Amino acid sequence: MRGIVSEANNSEAFSEAKMSDVAVIGGGINGCALAYELAKKGVNATVFEKGYLGSGATGRCGGGIRQQFDTEDNIRLVMESVKIFEKMEKELGYDIEYDQGGYLVLAHSDEEKERFKKNVELQRSMGLGVNFLEKEEIKELCPILDVDGAKAVGATFCQTDGHANPFRVTEAYAKNAERLGAEIKTFTEVKGIKKEKRFEIITEKEKMFADVVVNAAGCYSKQIAEMVGVKLPNKPYRHEILATESLKPVLKPMIISFMDGIYFCQHKTGQIVGGIGNPDEPSGINTESSFWFLEKMASTITRYIPSFKNLNVLRQWAGMYDVTPDARPILGKTNVKNFFVVCGFSGHGFMVAPVTAKLMSELIVDGKTSMPIDNLSIERFKKGVIRKEGAVVG
Amino acid sequence: MRISEHPILSFDRGKKITFLFNGKKISAYENETVASALTAAGINVLSRSIKYNRPRGFFCGIGKCSSCLMTVDGVPNVKTCVTPVKDGMVVESQDGKGNLPENKEFKSKKETLHADVAVVGAGPAGLSAAITASKHGADVLLIDENPVAGGQLIKQTHKFFGSKEHKAGVRGIEIAKLLLNEIENSNVNLLLNAGVIGYYKDNSHMLAVVQNSKLIKVYPKKIIVATGASENMLAFPGNDLPGVVGAGGVQTLMNVYGIRPGNSVLMVGAGNVGLIVSYQLMQAGINVKMVVEALPKIGGYIVHAAKLRRLGVPILTSHTVKNAYGNGRVEGARIVKLENWKETGEGFDVDVDLICLAVGLTPTCEILFQAGCETKYIPELGGWVARHDRNLETSIKGIYVAGDCSGIEEASTAMMEGRIAGMDAAEKLGFKIDEKEKKDAFENLKTLRSGPFGEKPRIGKEKMWGRK
Repeated sequence: MRGIVSEANNSEAFSEAKMSDVAVIGGGINGCALAYELAKKGVNATVFEKGYLGSGATGRCGGGIRQQFDTEDNIRLVMESVKIFEKMEKELGYDIEYDQGGYLVLAHSDEEKERFKKNVELQRSMGLGVNFLEKEEIKELCPILDVDGAKAVGATFCQTDGHANPFRVTEAYAKNAERLGAEIKTFTEVKGIKKEKRFEIITEKEKMFADVVVNAAGCYSKQIAEMVGVKLPNKPYRHEILATESLKPVLKPMIISFMDGIYFCQHKTGQIVGGIGNPDEPSGINTESSFWFLEKMASTITRYIPSFKNLNVLRQWAGMYDVTPDARPILGKTNVKNFFVVCGFSGHGFMVAPVTAKLMSELIVDGKTSMPIDNLSIERFKKGVIRKEGAVVG
Repeated sequence: MRISEHPILSFDRGKKITFLFNGKKISAYENETVASALTAAGINVLSRSIKYNRPRGFFCGIGKCSSCLMTVDGVPNVKTCVTPVKDGMVVESQDGKGNLPENKEFKSKKETLHADVAVVGAGPAGLSAAITASKHGADVLLIDENPVAGGQLIKQTHKFFGSKEHKAGVRGIEIAKLLLNEIENSNVNLLLNAGVIGYYKDNSHMLAVVQNSKLIKVYPKKIIVATGASENMLAFPGNDLPGVVGAGGVQTLMNVYGIRPGNSVLMVGAGNVGLIVSYQLMQAGINVKMVVEALPKIGGYIVHAAKLRRLGVPILTSHTVKNAYGNGRVEGARIVKLENWKETGEGFDVDVDLICLAVGLTPTCEILFQAGCETKYIPELGGWVARHDRNLETSIKGIYVAGDCSGIEEASTAMMEGRIAGMDAAEKLGFKIDEKEKKDAFENLKTLRSGPFGEKPRIGKEKMWGRK
């Protein structure tokens, strides 16, 4: 049996509006990757994107791909994702500017050091090639970093972590999805969803019927879910980021610190790209750039790498994190039949998209997944937050 | 390649100096920029493209493109076209990306400035806005990223048209002197070598300005953006060869620095800019082989075209450049005839070492868009512009536009717009203005736009204001 989709396809056809098996709301990395995975399974998907592809959080993110998390779910998801990223250029036929320069995660206190050592133990037990580094070893691995300036007392390092270009990955998925028959509608905002026998997707331009709806709308997921009466606990938060002028390669790994809330790396274009979190940022949708960020980022990054004082900032911009109470994504079914959610990535949507798309396509088409995702279901919040992801940055 | 004799201009080059370029000694003058001095020394390749390592040469000459980025005294990605050359300077071409400087000593300074009105850009519009606002009592800060004020006026050797109030019959360079003189005798605080890097909301308007290594936070009550425009590029194979130069860039080299950008030139575009610059090229002793224009008719004033024709320069309408060729720099171009915008025949080659592009301008609106001003696409105004009312105020209260960044026109209308914006800003700040003066400014602007060549901006502005 081919699950929900084939079942629904047997019902009578609607003549007045177009028909799609699956309507995916959101043309970010998750929506496009899902459309591709569904198309690979022969399922006809339509992506609705209110702007251009990647115009939300995807195109505004730093492109980092990190496996060094402290909850098993996140570690497992990104480890599987990395396997896909490693073969992506070949599978999708696109240069995605993928670079496995590693992630260097800095510890600033003995307490953090101990916690990191435990994380390494957990990560290694799951098969991740990660090491704990003492202060001297950090200098050896990343000579440009001023370890004292960064106030680092230790670090963890995983070579297979890295980064890729979010626009290129999104485009690669979208183009391949279209090639396999998916339809992608940009500048098409979903204004409403009616649930009757099927879902009726209402946009300014047209109506469309679908058997299945997937909510991959990033920081707008909460509003989309409300259209069918599903309540999500997600909250949107602004995060800011900047890019400098291009340089010859000077920095191999992505450097991050949970204490300072900073992350930065050098992209293949030569630009240093990074951001820093504002602990006082209020919840709300806001993509304005602040001067606070520019000053904070500049003063912090130059403490880490003093020679960056010579660099010009080319651009700064802001995007939205779609944050859940435990900083882990919400994946899977909801109490509305055939309405699925792929949201709440809390700043990590890009890195896990390849695997979540695969798993969601399995759930939608086959009714079961090759990797357990029950822990990430929306049901978990009924019991209260049990285990919060601690490795969050930016 | 320096011009020794010029019918209109004399060049104050300053003292002779020497600098190093890729280890070789180059002679130059202290009043030149790095890129102009290198061009004078016959060096065409200033940088290489990051992705495909293609050679790039002098193009815009006003710090708006990126084809002259070089490493200067160890600092990478320096815009050498706006960087004054200094004795003993070490200039190195970059193989694509630059190297991170080792130097960790970097003293950053901070400053905070307040003003009634901040004017961004000291070209004809900005200068007029600053003078006007200041005259009415406002405390004005005028900011420009270039080492000298005057914008494009300082390279306009031709006489302006229009009536006496519009400074008709006066050369642009003379108008620039008059305006700069007025600034000098006013209370306007002029900030040169200062780039606005961003607009922020910090309870009120805030502009972040970088001057050398100093960060200045400017808190103005009103902002007048007069950032001008940038040269349009034309898509054809070989358009990035050194020797393909924007009309503004050519004017900068010839008329500001007295440097010949080449020996023989193909001019692309027969609008006023193409025609005027062709004539200026001849004044600088450069052989203008021909002017090609893709449209079926000459776009500029007939008097400019007639001057060229009298001197034997062919102006080919319905013709365009198909491709440029050359080894490391322009050696020639293939010209083709167009019929209904379609290429006909095989065309012919023209041997030139310079292809000058005069194919229009695009308003420089980045700061307006970043601030969040409402935008509108109006082809007659040069593309995307910030919506503004008749007083030049945008959708954000207290942010004004004036000159080419409000829609492409010319210097006379830019000065008038600057005046109106300056007056309106002053009035809204509570300063008394003369109603007649404001009315006259509107009348003047109307007159300037009333001729057949004012048609495009007139239609453009009417589209913005919602009238057919």
